[in-house]
Amino acid sequence: MIENFHEIMALWDKHLLTMRTIEHLEMFSIALTISVIIGVSVGVIIYIRPGIASPVLNFLNILETIPDLALLVILLPLLRLGTGPTIAASVIYSILPIARNTYTGLKGVDSKYIYVAEAIGLSPRDILLKVRIPMSLPLIAGGIRIALVFTMGVVTLGGLVAAGGLGTVLQNGIQLYEKDAILLAGLWTGILAVILDLGAGRIEKKLYKRYGTWQPQK
Amino acid sequence: MPTQRLFERIDSIELQQVSKKYGSRYAVESLDLTIEGGELLILIGPSGSGKTTTLRMINRMIGPDTGSIRINGQDVMQLDPVRLRRNMGYVIQNIGLFPHMTIGENVGLVPKLEGWDEKRTNARVRHLLDFVSLPPERFIKRYPRQLSGGQQQRVGLARALVMDPPLLLMDEPFGALDPILRTQLQEEFLEIKKEIGRTIVFITHDIEEAFRLGDRIAIMDNARLVQVGAPEDLIFDPVNELVADIVDTKRKFKHMDTLNVKDLMTPLDAKYILNGGVDACDAVEIMKDREIEIGIVFEKGMLAGKVEMVNLLKCEDDRPFLRDIAKPMKVFALRDSVATALSEMKRSGEYVAMVMDGDTVGGMLVSDEVLLKLI
Repeated sequence: MIENFHEIMALWDKHLLTMRTIEHLEMFSIALTISVIIGVSVGVIIYIRPGIASPVLNFLNILETIPDLALLVILLPLLRLGTGPTIAASVIYSILPIARNTYTGLKGVDSKYIYVAEAIGLSPRDILLKVRIPMSLPLIAGGIRIALVFTMGVVTLGGLVAAGGLGTVLQNGIQLYEKDAILLAGLWTGILAVILDLGAGRIEKKLYKRYGTWQPQK
Repeated sequence: MPTQRLFERIDSIELQQVSKKYGSRYAVESLDLTIEGGELLILIGPSGSGKTTTLRMINRMIGPDTGSIRINGQDVMQLDPVRLRRNMGYVIQNIGLFPHMTIGENVGLVPKLEGWDEKRTNARVRHLLDFVSLPPERFIKRYPRQLSGGQQQRVGLARALVMDPPLLLMDEPFGALDPILRTQLQEEFLEIKKEIGRTIVFITHDIEEAFRLGDRIAIMDNARLVQVGAPEDLIFDPVNELVADIVDTKRKFKHMDTLNVKDLMTPLDAKYILNGGVDACDAVEIMKDREIEIGIVFEKGMLAGKVEMVNLLKCEDDRPFLRDIAKPMKVFALRDSVATALSEMKRSGEYVAMVMDGDTVGGMLVSDEVLLKLI
């Protein structure tokens, strides 16, 4: 048991897993932050201008159908090797779930609250900022959680285009046929993803408790 | 962004030939109604009669198709809706407190948008929570879902009052509460109404609530105003079957003719009795002490008449004796018919009369109280 543990630690150090994990999380955080900013903005914009909602969402849907490996390769000539294409691909995948949930959330706020807000003298802008957005937070969080899973996958794939991170360890393991390294890095990546998702799930649940009045539109 | 105050008090709200159509159906048709400053006007009628539409046109939640709505002479359609609404309080049946904000944030929302600083907002919120009997230290940090329906309704009222609006619009505010709680809140609301003395337009479907709270009652049916008037106008002089039905004249008042004054009079409380030999200035002091607005003057055991506080205030010039300035008042006998007595009082515009049993005092007949006893 202890022997196994020492072996694992040796393998861990040999493949610089601590550093790779940090790289991995760094890429992941940057990609997710950008996705949230763009995704929520797109959601709000298509809410304000409902005429463009359908084309925008359709376009994002098309992007979503491109296989991730293909998307990475397409982005290579534009952004070269490294973290660039990886982060870009993550963002492209993540905009849709976040934007779609933001849009649905803003639209779906119970009309009785909107009515009251108008009646007590809130301007359309106040209603968006003080009522619609806060009350959509649980749903937006749900979208971010989906994006989190996408991002984790794409960032791992980034090993193929020399982005660093845990994908690199997997990539090396495959090329050198080091089964132990593949197993360790694979398991670790999986555990990391599960932990992050659990964390996001808890935040989402909290938001639901705090703001959770959202109901699907009939 | 602060909005300017539109009116300090309401002199009148005039609805002239107001119509609103949805499709081919009128929601409100050719409505003429004047709401006087300081009164509580009740809008009552069957559902779909247009009362809510009328209320919503006052704060421009709905725009009329034709006709005009003027507050103190200003056409509401010429005013910025946000500014207009911040100048009136609004309370609805399902309250609609924002679930993601604390009670304090809910009440303080509009002041915050108006750019009040935190200290001022906080002080105002605390004052209002106190006012609606919710101790601020216990409630200000709670969320709406942690409150009972009655408590939420109080918060709704506090929110409506936060900008100190001269006009309150209330759409069945107590409609969703259980009867006991409703009665309690009505009682409290009457106190509040006295204290704030503002103009209130109040929708209800409960005629007892209407009689208890309203100064005047407007009955609507089928998009039209059927009758508007004080409670006794509607009871004694209903224009049609519907009004009679709503005020329930038949059931409650069919025995009016058989009732006599004795059944509905109020005993004469000694505090109302003033001696004819007292001069007017002293009488003012006495009446202040006794907290009465009207006094019944007796001279040597005989009824001399009544005096009203407002008329005595200018007593300084000649300090007249009460026996000389007491105004004659209507006197009825115990066996007189209540219906006759009330219509006589109404005709002369009096709200209180004496009841005499021969030479001794039987009691007082107070028109408002008679109505309440009948309801």
